[in-house]
Amino acid sequence: MPGHRTKGFCASAAALALCAVLAGCGGSGESAGGGKVVLRYTWWGNPDRAERTERAVALFEKQHPNVDVTTSFSGYDAYKQKLATQAAGGDAPDVMQLDYRQIDQYASGGVLLDLAEQKPVLRTGEIDPGLLATGRVDDVQYAIPQGRGTETVAYDVQAWKKSGVPLPGKSWTWSRWADTMRALAKKTGKPGATDPGQSEDAFEVWLRGQGKALYTKDGGLGFTAGDLTRWWTFTDTLRREGAVSPAEQTTQLDGSVENTPLGRGTAVTDANWDAPASGFIALVPTGVALAPMPSGEDGTPGQYFKPSMFLGVSADTGHPKEAAQLVDFVINDREAATILGASRGIPVNETIRAGIGPQLKDFDKTIADFQASLEGTLKDPPQAPPSGDNALQSTFQRDYDQVSYARMSPREAAENYVTEAKAELRS
Amino acid sequence: MTTTAIPPEARRAPAAAPKRRPRREREGAAWVFLSPWVLGAIVLTLLPMAVSLYLSFTDYDLFNPPKWVGVRNYAQMFTEDPRYWRSVVTTLTYVVIAVPLQLALALVVALALKGMKRGKGFYRSAFYAPSLLGASMSIALVWRAVFNDGGTVDNLLGTGGWVNKPGWALLAVALLTVWQFGAPMVIFLAGLQQIPAELYEAAAVDGAGKGRQFLSVTVPMLSPVLFFNLVLQTIQAFQVFTPAFAVSAGKGGPADSTLVYTMYLYDRGFVASHMGYASAMAWVLLLVIGVVTAVLFRTSRSWVFYASEGDR
Repeated sequence: MPGHRTKGFCASAAALALCAVLAGCGGSGESAGGGKVVLRYTWWGNPDRAERTERAVALFEKQHPNVDVTTSFSGYDAYKQKLATQAAGGDAPDVMQLDYRQIDQYASGGVLLDLAEQKPVLRTGEIDPGLLATGRVDDVQYAIPQGRGTETVAYDVQAWKKSGVPLPGKSWTWSRWADTMRALAKKTGKPGATDPGQSEDAFEVWLRGQGKALYTKDGGLGFTAGDLTRWWTFTDTLRREGAVSPAEQTTQLDGSVENTPLGRGTAVTDANWDAPASGFIALVPTGVALAPMPSGEDGTPGQYFKPSMFLGVSADTGHPKEAAQLVDFVINDREAATILGASRGIPVNETIRAGIGPQLKDFDKTIADFQASLEGTLKDPPQAPPSGDNALQSTFQRDYDQVSYARMSPREAAENYVTEAKAELRS
Repeated sequence: MTTTAIPPEARRAPAAAPKRRPRREREGAAWVFLSPWVLGAIVLTLLPMAVSLYLSFTDYDLFNPPKWVGVRNYAQMFTEDPRYWRSVVTTLTYVVIAVPLQLALALVVALALKGMKRGKGFYRSAFYAPSLLGASMSIALVWRAVFNDGGTVDNLLGTGGWVNKPGWALLAVALLTVWQFGAPMVIFLAGLQQIPAELYEAAAVDGAGKGRQFLSVTVPMLSPVLFFNLVLQTIQAFQVFTPAFAVSAGKGGPADSTLVYTMYLYDRGFVASHMGYASAMAWVLLLVIGVVTAVLFRTSRSWVFYASEGDR
């Protein structure tokens, strides 16, 4: 009967469709049609970084016709969450950009490949040994640093100049910085800076300016609730005076430059890492310049050179060799370095750094000059933060929210944070 | 697979229908047809639930093997975690705001549509559409833009952005749910059409006005449907996630004001990598929803009227 045939046909069609779906769910690193090796490469960043990365990846594909690289990127917060979920599900991308804070957790969790196994295709000879060591956990090289970064005060040059307030000099203390922000706010009618109270990074710079650190050598908390109370009282006062951004704007920060007050045109400066600061160029067309972070009252510098970000390879990748080749390309290829510029910090490969230094253009040059101006004046970087820090970064921001919306006093919030941090670091 | 086994069975079925087959055999066929769903329920629901129950007694960071910690997660939740209690209060507030508002709106629109002669289909679809779209992330993002600093609502009312004010953000989230009143509305509409017209005629003869008719005829006759909607929407409201996630850009902010229960659960699991703790939270939520539903059923005895009760 015809009716019956139709039913049978439908059933087999459904079965076929199901098979197709299941086949499509294959793990990472599967070979696609044409026998090409497919690599997944993910990172966080801004559109500027994305554009350059795409160009570099295209060049890699040209050099390795058997490899197809699929890329994806997102903002830092979203990236962190997505990568953690993928890694836990055994579906980490073949090549992934990692933050200093993630290395410890990912390495100890068995997510990352021991890169020493790929020595023949992944050269590390031209990287400063001290910097290279930051990607090592228990003497295993799990990740390669991609660049060197440091914190900076990025500012809207034109708005600042027009205000008549003297431009920042080579060094300033936190109290001079605060006075300058007050003056800027008064002259320009908008806050001088993003409220730094929400940023664990800014707090770290302030803390180091007093000879302290976020974490002790054994991974405990390196400061007291009293320290944090003083920091949050300082920033809370500035916010109440209107010298830094109001709570409504601060709460929208998500790690992207687009959502900073400076990026939205509602503040004159923003404390950020120098590499992502390149994203401000597109947002502040009148020009952005960089100034050093404020130092302690006795001149102790708080900022430091930090490996800006790392590249790691998934332990589960089906193509460790090709993945390592991609890492090698991004770090050691001269042409790639020219394309990537300083979008992930100044290159780690010493030969390339020396070679492309003079060729750097535009904002890349600004970043290079900025770093050169700090050379030899900064203190050693802290050791890699303990695993718990990954969660504490957002806890810090949330607890400060309670202060900036006047729901808690700086002391209450600080005590809250210290309690949470101790619990987090214990587990 | 089963495609070869089933057709002969199916072909014989119509002819054999009049004669009663042995019970066993019929049950067997039922199980064959049910098997994909039974398998699905076991593999996709029961198994993960069992694993989650186990994980709730462990410390599990996604990367390293789970470590048994007994009831520590539960103890920590109830005694040492102020943020947990904040999320409980936020969720209860949300339920109390969103559910009554949504049901009221659904009922009002259903009443309006019931009496409508022309264009009923169009309006029904138009009001239902948000329920289909609303669950999607994109609508929630549009919502965020509308209620953001400098967004549409800010421009129209000059209130500043709602999503940036701790006192207002939860309301913006609730409104997104209220707006998706299509499903309860359709159920109300079906319920309204079940009410016999004679009751209204009889009431009118007795001199009851519109308002009186509504209270004495519509409400009691509709109470089973109202109860059904109330239970369903309450259960859903306790599990609200997407709107809160999108409106607060995944953070439950500002100042934890939209940190509903499931958002905090997500935060513990996927941001802080405490899957054991998140699992414990999930089980407590399941228990609470069970208790709340049981309480609703108990109170329903005093206000839900089933037409068949008249026969008893």
